[in-house]
Amino acid sequence: MDKLLTVTALRRVIQLTAFVFFVYGAMIFTTFYTGDKLTQSLPALSCAYDMKGGDFCTLIPLQHQMDHRVSSIFTQGEKVLPALMGTLITLGTVAVLILILNKAFCGWLCPLGFFQDVFTMIGTKLGLTQLGSLSREAVNKIRPIKWFIFLFLVLILPLLTGIGFLGHEWGNPYCSICPSRIMTTAMGGDMSQVYISQANWGYFTLSLIADLMFGLMVALALFVRQPFCRICPMLPMQTLFKKIGLLRLVKNGDSHCDSCGNCVKACPMDIYEIQDQAENKNITHADCTLCGRCVEFCPHDGVMNFKYGPITILSSSKESFKKRTKIDKWWKE
Amino acid sequence: MKNGLAALLIASSLWGYGNGVIYWAPHISHGGEHSHSKHGGHGMGETTMLHAMNLEGNSTVTLIKPDLSKEDLNLTDTALTLPKASIGGYYALVLTHRTDNQVDSAIRYLSQQGRPSKISPTKLTALPKTDLEIVPDPLHREHDHYTASKSYHFVLRLHNHALANTTIFLETRDTPVQTVTTDTDGKFTVTLPNDFKNVQIGRSENKPSEFLLTTQYREGDTLYKTALTMPYSLNPNDYWQSQKYGAGAVFIGFLGGLFLYRRSKKTGVPRG
Ligand code: SF4
Ligand code: SF4
Ligand code: SF4
Repeated sequence: MDKLLTVTALRRVIQLTAFVFFVYGAMIFTTFYTGDKLTQSLPALSCAYDMKGGDFCTLIPLQHQMDHRVSSIFTQGEKVLPALMGTLITLGTVAVLILILNKAFCGWLCPLGFFQDVFTMIGTKLGLTQLGSLSREAVNKIRPIKWFIFLFLVLILPLLTGIGFLGHEWGNPYCSICPSRIMTTAMGGDMSQVYISQANWGYFTLSLIADLMFGLMVALALFVRQPFCRICPMLPMQTLFKKIGLLRLVKNGDSHCDSCGNCVKACPMDIYEIQDQAENKNITHADCTLCGRCVEFCPHDGVMNFKYGPITILSSSKESFKKRTKIDKWWKE
Repeated sequence: MKNGLAALLIASSLWGYGNGVIYWAPHISHGGEHSHSKHGGHGMGETTMLHAMNLEGNSTVTLIKPDLSKEDLNLTDTALTLPKASIGGYYALVLTHRTDNQVDSAIRYLSQQGRPSKISPTKLTALPKTDLEIVPDPLHREHDHYTASKSYHFVLRLHNHALANTTIFLETRDTPVQTVTTDTDGKFTVTLPNDFKNVQIGRSENKPSEFLLTTQYREGDTLYKTALTMPYSLNPNDYWQSQKYGAGAVFIGFLGGLFLYRRSKKTGVPRG
């Protein structure tokens, strides 16, 4: 039993529990009403369209605020502070949540992150050849996409819609393509979010992208780790506050780290920067989901660490590396 | 006078609807539009003027607010203009009409913009409002609306206790009465009919319709009657949204992923 006790095993248990809470939680813990949800501004893709969910993500209030409140500064000459108040409350809530758990919302709690993990596990067990790390070039090309989605689909297009430059379909365009909307509602038995809209070209395009992307994400997850996460606009959202996060990935390379690259191979987000030499440095990257795999797979004592404030809560070590690689071999057999 | 005329206009346009029970109906302006308050631009603009249909004689009207405080309101003829909302959230509008051996009630829930109350809407629905009451279980979510072709759950209560095996009547303007019976816990489910006419593409292009749930129950010498009316919207998936094509697009996306898998097998390297 002890041989299976790893950070990843613990993470799977927590992810599953979080999945149940975020997808079905309204049936037990909170209620069906948005006003009763846990934070109403979660920095992970728990979807507001899922009526049974225990909480919902921060991107939906942000888009609505841009469309309906922030835009009123330009359309009705509304004073800046009242118009921004809702957004400030939303951002303040995210800041507090990031302070507490930082990017672990992704690696440990996000229902869509776990959904992709499950498909990767299925793909592995089906014997599909798993794609290793993407090349540095590919990673560098993909990285800006999430910022583009965040800036345009979450902030700018909804704002332009509120001002009156664009039609209603651009009021919450990120939700219109978000795979979590389809996944979480389908998990609750509601297939109504899988559709192609013929209302106009905008709705048509967004609904087509949503459906194609969802199908693509599921197939890719069978052999690529975290395919959607790489372009997820929640990462930029979290990154705005990651400096204040108490939980962080700290590298203390000194002479031990020989840049063997084990950590990069283990990293589901292909963050090459983590193999660079660093001394007692917070290396929590914008793409990091704080999954802990790099700590598990680093063969040297005390090089990779999870710290919470001043306290080290997890450290890489020779023993845990040996144990972890053994389990990995067994899992992939 | 103007209100009386409007009520008459509505009554004639809804002839045969409700079979004489007292119920709330939204005010219809001369252009045929519901009277709506200005709203942030999503969800339902809420009706600010209503009529108590089929009401004759005296009645009491109580507005229960999201913080569960109550305000008594007065009708002008049968018309009611809602006071400006200070608190945001769900309001319940309750009309009670008592005669010697009959109690009629009409309930409608409205959602208003304003400073949010910290009290869950479940408290408002749970609160006993009248003797015999049809309670949404749950009421649709904030910014959502009742939608055609979808099923919704309700519970029937008499003196705040579930009332089993009682017939409920569902009626809309364009669909004849359907009946459903409450189960042992007083619960029942109805599917709202897809009965919209002259549908235009786009949700905001189509006015909401109204559904009416009514029932009655005799206890001793007293006959209790109640009606719940709410607006409902058409379901885009019945018209300009195709779920079949949606499923097709998901499948094509999936095939695209499998194609990439075949390609990646040539270049794939074992993962760490
Ligand atoms: S669709 Fe996506 S972004 Fe929108 S509320 Fe749902 S999870 Fe959040
Ligand atoms: S990056 Fe992945 S895990 Fe994080 S919120 Fe997005 S989908 Fe979820
Ligand atoms: S850097 Fe480490 S903790 Fe962050 S995603 Fe990669 S493996 Fe996980």
